[in-house]
Amino acid sequence: MEERRPTPDEDIRILLEKAADGDRQAFKSIVVLYQQKVFLLAFSILRNREDALDVVQETFMRLYQKLDQYEKDRNFQAWLLQIAKNMSIDFYRKHHARRRELESERSIEELPLAAEDHRSNPESSELSRLLSRNLERLAERQRLIFVMKHFNGLEYREIAQVLGISVGTVKSLHFKAVRNLKNWLSPQLGIQT
Amino acid sequence: MSEREREDIQRLVESCQNCAGEVRAVEKLLASADSLGRDVQTALAGIDWDLQAEKTVAAVWSERARSGAEREKRRPGLWVFRLRPVLAGLFLGVLVGAGAMFFVFRSGWTRKAPAQAFFASSEFLSRVDQEMGRRETLDYLEKSQYVLLELAQTQTESGSCRLSEAAARETRELLSKKKYLNPQLEKARMAKAKAICDQIEMLFYELAQVSENLTPAQCRGIQSLIEEKDILLKIKLLKKELQESEA
Repeated sequence: MEERRPTPDEDIRILLEKAADGDRQAFKSIVVLYQQKVFLLAFSILRNREDALDVVQETFMRLYQKLDQYEKDRNFQAWLLQIAKNMSIDFYRKHHARRRELESERSIEELPLAAEDHRSNPESSELSRLLSRNLERLAERQRLIFVMKHFNGLEYREIAQVLGISVGTVKSLHFKAVRNLKNWLSPQLGIQT
Repeated sequence: MSEREREDIQRLVESCQNCAGEVRAVEKLLASADSLGRDVQTALAGIDWDLQAEKTVAAVWSERARSGAEREKRRPGLWVFRLRPVLAGLFLGVLVGAGAMFFVFRSGWTRKAPAQAFFASSEFLSRVDQEMGRRETLDYLEKSQYVLLELAQTQTESGSCRLSEAAARETRELLSKKKYLNPQLEKARMAKAKAICDQIEMLFYELAQVSENLTPAQCRGIQSLIEEKDILLKIKLLKKELQESEA
């Protein structure tokens, strides 16, 4: 009789059970599998590498504390990213208020924005810089959806699972985010008002 | 979106200058966003993920050990047993004492032996009967004396003969009491007392039959009966005798 190969969902369930029983190696396997995805989400929200790495660690700590609360029928990745999103937002609220105060005292050019030094095209670099800055102006859910879609490369369905809302709402909020950014950046995009 | 819808939109964009501009702007915006996303991916590349995973797991495990130690500290019972042998000994003493008490009470050592059946001699019982008969008779004589005296006094003062409501009720009660008294007097062998009580009973029957309002003739008849038989005197003498013969 041919042995049935476990699906990825079954694999992760086994790893979670072992980790809950105190298996360090099993927990490490979970971390290795998901840490980059958690980092991307945290980085998208915080746009600071060190902060994002801190959030990765805190997210897995929270995951370990909540292992017994995991419902087996649930999408593990969506659940983990939901924890990561909440941790990132908490981190942002806790630390960035102070950081913003400090940054407001510096000129715009001094601010360390994500990957802004990699531009070869000055026009494109300027647009990215402004886009990055204008993301802050978006409403929280619009910003989250926009960064998850374009920075993390998540599908609408996955974003809906992470945020716990319908796919239709995700599409609608994404459309609003794009429309707002287009309006704010219209001179840079070559649109005449 | 279907192929047909896509072609329709394409035609519209080609025919409308403003629409084409809008599309180019959005494409430019999204391209810029995607390039920012690629930069994020670049940021990923510079991180040693194996080391990062090890750091994360180590942090989680040290937190786990710390919270485990705190839980251990929070167990006051174990703390007491480990560091306070006196309290542990006291607790053990209480346990042993409780166990011993349980066995003592269970075995019934402290329970009292059941009392033996009550025994009384026939002589004692006959004396009890006699004493009870004596007391009951005394009570009967006392009450009868009041009723008869009242009857005599009423007649003397007014010339008419009228028995009060209370005396009439007392007469009825004494008649019923006499029925209860008869077997007691026989049992206690008090023949003399029984004879006098019978005479009193006869008088009360007379009184009960003629009701509360006695005619002067009836009243005189009863009066003469009392006098003829010296009932009041007999009552007095019998009372005295019974009082003296108290056990």
